[in-house]
Amino acid sequence: MTRIRPTFRRLVALTAAAGMLVLAGCSAPTTPDSPAGGATLVVATSDEPDALNPVLNFGVDGAALIFDGLVARDSDNRLVPGLATALPVLSAEGRTVTAKLRDGVQFHDGTALTAQDVVFTYQAVLDPKVDSTLRSDLDMVESVTAPDATTVVFRLRYPYAPFLQRLTLGIVPSKLLSGQDINTTGFNRKPIGTGPYKVESWTPGDRLVLTANERYFGGRPANNRVVVAFVADDNVRAQRMRAGEFDAAELPPKLASGFDSDNTYRVQRVPTADYRGVMLPMGNPVLADPAVRRALNLAVDRAAMVSGILGGAGEPAFGPVPPTSEFADPSTVGTPTADATAASALLDAAGWRPGSGGVRAKDGRPARFTLMYPATDTLRKDLALAVTADAKKIGIEVTPAGLTWDAIDPRMKSDALLMGYGTPYDPDFVSYKLFSSQFAGQGYFNPGSYRSEVTDRALQEGRDQIDPALRKAAYTQFQKQLAADVPWLFLTYLRHTYVLKSSVQGAAPRVEAHEHGVANSIWWNINTWTRS
Amino acid sequence: MTRSGRLAGAGAVVRRRLLVAVPVLAATSVGMFALGAASPVDPAKQYAGAAAFTASEENLAQIRANWGVDDPLPVQYLRWIGNLVQGDLGWSTSRHEPVAAVLSDRAGWTLLLIGVTLALVLVGSLLLGALAAYRRGGLFDRGLRAAAYAVESMPVFWLGLAAIAVFALALGWFPAGGLTDVTATSTSWADVAHHLILPVGVLAVSQAPWFVLFVRDAVAESMRDDHVLAARARGLPGRTILFGHALRTALLPFLTLVGTHLPELVGGAVLVETVFSLPGLGAVTVAAALGSDFPLLAAITLVTTAVVLAANLTTDLAYAAADPRVRLDG
Amino acid sequence: MADLATRQPLLHLARSRLRLRLRPGQTGVVIAGLVLLVAVAGSLLAPLVWPLDQSAVALDQTRLAPSWAHLAGTDDLGRDVAHRAVYGLRVSLLVGAVAALVATVLGGVVGGIAGTLGGRVDRILMRIVDTIAAMPHLLLGIFIVAMLRPSLGAVIASVGLTHWLSTARIVRSELLSLRTRPFIDAAISGGAGRLRVLTRHLLPHVLPRLALATTLMIPHAVWHETALSFLGLGLPPHLASLGNMINDGQGSLLTGAWWASLAPGAVIVVVTLAIAVLAARWRDRLDPRVRAELHL
Repeated sequence: MTRIRPTFRRLVALTAAAGMLVLAGCSAPTTPDSPAGGATLVVATSDEPDALNPVLNFGVDGAALIFDGLVARDSDNRLVPGLATALPVLSAEGRTVTAKLRDGVQFHDGTALTAQDVVFTYQAVLDPKVDSTLRSDLDMVESVTAPDATTVVFRLRYPYAPFLQRLTLGIVPSKLLSGQDINTTGFNRKPIGTGPYKVESWTPGDRLVLTANERYFGGRPANNRVVVAFVADDNVRAQRMRAGEFDAAELPPKLASGFDSDNTYRVQRVPTADYRGVMLPMGNPVLADPAVRRALNLAVDRAAMVSGILGGAGEPAFGPVPPTSEFADPSTVGTPTADATAASALLDAAGWRPGSGGVRAKDGRPARFTLMYPATDTLRKDLALAVTADAKKIGIEVTPAGLTWDAIDPRMKSDALLMGYGTPYDPDFVSYKLFSSQFAGQGYFNPGSYRSEVTDRALQEGRDQIDPALRKAAYTQFQKQLAADVPWLFLTYLRHTYVLKSSVQGAAPRVEAHEHGVANSIWWNINTWTRS
Repeated sequence: MTRSGRLAGAGAVVRRRLLVAVPVLAATSVGMFALGAASPVDPAKQYAGAAAFTASEENLAQIRANWGVDDPLPVQYLRWIGNLVQGDLGWSTSRHEPVAAVLSDRAGWTLLLIGVTLALVLVGSLLLGALAAYRRGGLFDRGLRAAAYAVESMPVFWLGLAAIAVFALALGWFPAGGLTDVTATSTSWADVAHHLILPVGVLAVSQAPWFVLFVRDAVAESMRDDHVLAARARGLPGRTILFGHALRTALLPFLTLVGTHLPELVGGAVLVETVFSLPGLGAVTVAAALGSDFPLLAAITLVTTAVVLAANLTTDLAYAAADPRVRLDG
Repeated sequence: MADLATRQPLLHLARSRLRLRLRPGQTGVVIAGLVLLVAVAGSLLAPLVWPLDQSAVALDQTRLAPSWAHLAGTDDLGRDVAHRAVYGLRVSLLVGAVAALVATVLGGVVGGIAGTLGGRVDRILMRIVDTIAAMPHLLLGIFIVAMLRPSLGAVIASVGLTHWLSTARIVRSELLSLRTRPFIDAAISGGAGRLRVLTRHLLPHVLPRLALATTLMIPHAVWHETALSFLGLGLPPHLASLGNMINDGQGSLLTGAWWASLAPGAVIVVVTLAIAVLAARWRDRLDPRVRAELHL
């Protein structure tokens, strides 16, 4: 026994030392909560940005809390001046835009905003050394120059009607970033902008703490601090919302509906341009037949998907232009429920005869195809299964396949894919690349190689014409052609569902885009929110 | 024998262990790199994430070129391993920050979870195991062992969900996840402790069976040792015999074996962190795997292995120092 | 527990203090046998007697509580939980058995080489095994699956490549202890060749051990597979696997549908426990020197 004792003690000491190390490894200052706790608003989302830098795709559609663009959007998504004194104007030939900067705007570090910062920001996006995925959206920019400290001039390679919509991109300070590697700079973690909030701290995977920018040009925010909690797990987010930790949180529709009956909460189901649909590739011998695509379009029960999968938080979708858009064409809207009889008649007429095992066939080719969905996306999995079940009813056999994106990539030319896209700002965005034949087979743009001269011409018209009436005509034609060709099986527009505490005032939901998170969610105007 | 005598061979042992561990780790790194290179995953698209959908092919090609992923494989491997040796663990494609920053931000919480759990499991299993051994075959012994075998068959993530269902949702005693109250402007230890009760409890319960059964058997065995029998014959009270003699004899081999069980504990921690959404290495590993983030995954695996090897070596050396019968150079 | 076998010489000492063996009472063995019989027969016969359309959904029957029509309730998409649990078990047992076989072959070869050659080769091989054992199984498994892309094959590879170490140790220590036994000496002095000694004398002693190690590994393989699926790194999520079902059920938990993850979890517990009980009994029969004391 005596033999062991000294070493035993040493072991205890060792364990204790290890324990100290553990504690030291994650020590953080322990101070009591700030007395201004009442002025802190907490919002929760699952979407954590990779970098808080507009050049690297953070909040490019504005409402970025930390940054401002030359222009911003109001609650109806109409453009209003941001850092520019007035809305810039596109010249008559559609190729020059001049913006005048507001006076006296300061970055969070106190330096003044100049035209040079704007030039730097756009040039950084266009710089091939910067890993910015925005570059292809700003393809049309030939040059950005600053003739004086408050004037910025954009020159475009070709006329581009919706260019002003691209000016929501947040402006970064050139002084802090020039000469740095933008891909890896520490700025991406602790950025400096001109926006209503300054970044106090960002604990990845946990929270982003923002404090009010006293010098904000739009007026000091109505609250002192905003905490954005990153909670990837839907269930945990719902549970913590229930525990009263958050003032607002985005939740999946089914979990949000649990808060409907409780009047200390308010559930907001915000209309969006965020659609889900099945991309039907022309390279698939079965799907290449327009009759099959049209039959599928009739056979899917969009109403059942909205109620059964989305818990009512959505609308049936029939095309890529959302019903809330001024460009939407009501004549392309179909019936939300399935019409299996009409679908079957269409297939019969096209020569797809019922065959063995309930699967139709034409010229010995069975009506079968694979429907891919990204394996981590529960909603798309559910929709894929619903499409599979509906197709079965009209004798088309669909095999769902849950895959990672890199496994999906090489197969998009011949296998159907459940995709999601959509922005409310302009019908040119996304759709131009998605349905124009010049992008056929290029990555995620038009992966199914849909080709239609009518569609191509309509999309080009919409881009070239500055006159809104001509644009509307072009996009009406575009939607009609899409409804006739069915290159996509549009299923549903989602409603993004948020749960808010009833005591929170000031939320003004606006139609949201597919991409939303810290920026561009229901809390786009959180700087005006108060608590009663 | 003097203490220095006992540890005389330690330096040589450390050298010899390293002589094996370093080539094996190097070989493993080659294997991992080969697997990563053979994998069809496109790092540029992983990097671009959701934005890849609106980025053009040239855009992605440029990102690839910026990273040098088109260089020959041996060149890429040497660059990677060279950086690794110099302490540059690389750039995480899924988190968009240096791998080292990810590790340093998160490893603390994982270490805390594992450390507290291990302490709890050690104390608990020593106590329960010894009590069961004292009345071998008794009701407590049989019940404890039946429970241990049952718990051992439960997947830890299922146990975690059950704990959330009962203690967080039905009873509302503990938070269902997270680490601190989100409105807290700083990390308060009381808050962290409250959030850690469920995850630590679940991980401890799921790891305990192995330890409890081991202690129980070891103590039961040492109850038959001569010196314990002698103590009994002298009429010492049961508690003194159990904790003063039998348990102490069984303690050292037990502590050594803890090291070999560490990898299992790490695996359990990954799952528990996922279930309770703790901001540790586990959640980040899963996200990295879903995003095929090679640099981060490889670094986490290699670093964890090195830490476990070091822990094993430490416990072995400590054991050798304690027990002269043990030869380290076997 | 098999992981413990012969880590290092100093562990032999620890092991001599170990009596970590169980011999369940007869009733336990009978119940375990029945459970396993039902599980194996059920998962083999299911496609014949109770076919499942893996992609079927019933959007008008979502989240129904357990009833006579749906013994374990229905999930978020209106699918019968009990029905899918049977197919989940089928996948788990398949992955478990195949992965255990892969691991056994790998471990058998490494352990066989170390045990028959002994000496320097043995020392080096075992040190390598020790080092690899320090890599957390799950992390290594996650890495393998992430790089191969999640699929059935990747899961099997992930389990097989991480679970062969204990088999290698068991085979190696068994062979080493056999080498010192008199009947081997007798065979060698009787003029038997190396190969003959190996096939006629060594293998018959090692094979039962190897089979036992494989069996003991199946529960581990099942846990590993379900853990990967739970993390979203296993089979495609619309296919019925126990891990996928528990993962789906996590979402239903908060909306009150606790049953969606209950049945798949219970299936894992009952079946792996049955395998463990039977394997323990088998071990006692193989090695009667060991006294076991568990009476469930």
